[in-house]
Amino acid sequence: MVLDSSPRLDRVFHALAHPARRAIVRQLSLGERSLSELASPLKMTFPAATKHVRVLEAAKLVRRRVSGREHRCSLYAAPLEDAMLWTEQFRKHWEARFQVLDSLLDEMKAAEQSRSRRPPR
Amino acid sequence: MNHTPPKGLQISTPTDTTIVLTRTFQAPRRLVWEATFSPDKMRRWMLPPPGWTLTVCECEPRVGGALRLAWKNQDADPFMTLQGEFTEVNPYERIVHTETMALASGEPVGSQLETHEFTEKSGVTTMRITQVYESKDARDGAIASGMDEGMEACYVQLEAVLAQPA
Repeated sequence: MVLDSSPRLDRVFHALAHPARRAIVRQLSLGERSLSELASPLKMTFPAATKHVRVLEAAKLVRRRVSGREHRCSLYAAPLEDAMLWTEQFRKHWEARFQVLDSLLDEMKAAEQSRSRRPPR
Repeated sequence: MNHTPPKGLQISTPTDTTIVLTRTFQAPRRLVWEATFSPDKMRRWMLPPPGWTLTVCECEPRVGGALRLAWKNQDADPFMTLQGEFTEVNPYERIVHTETMALASGEPVGSQLETHEFTEKSGVTTMRITQVYESKDARDGAIASGMDEGMEACYVQLEAVLAQPA
């Protein structure tokens, strides 16, 4: 059992705990965006987008640079690697279990149908 | 980082002490329930972490009923035990149980409250498992457990994910 208490990971998880911020990360995975470019497809006000970007910056997931009058944001993925490694293994383990459960359920359905005289529903 | 196809397993951490797993199954909820809580079925799908073997599997899904699991590995038999009790049972809909994992020495590893909820629509069942841990550290530990193995596979997958747009 690995017990991991890394403050950096805490910030990453906090940052990703909000659907709007996950949407921003997704947008940024396509490339650099300005704050207004981020706000509009997410139907978010400019101040709201700015607030979420600040949280992502604090987790060092996003970097912001000023270009003329615009603030350009880009994704910085290294902290995501920590977070993903962490949850991905957990997810894979459960998904492997559930795939076995899928085939087990198929067997149970088939057994039930062959036992029943009535046609399957 | 929503790279998981929506049809597969969804995992979220809505609070600091919670993990929620949601998965759909192509079967009525009566069968999903039976597969989830009948020991002979559980033995088949509850794959242990690599190197572990499930040796004890008892499950009595009624209020006050026990949940008892044990695993062995190459170092010890049992290596880990899980003991719990069902506290709320609403057949085919909702079931709540406690569970405490402990090393064979008796040293507790962690406790959680687990709720299974089943909803069925057109023969497809959605199972939602909510795990509530005692603390954030315990929750994080549950996610982190099993990370030792498959690290390399993870890196490979991670590279692939990061290489793809969204």
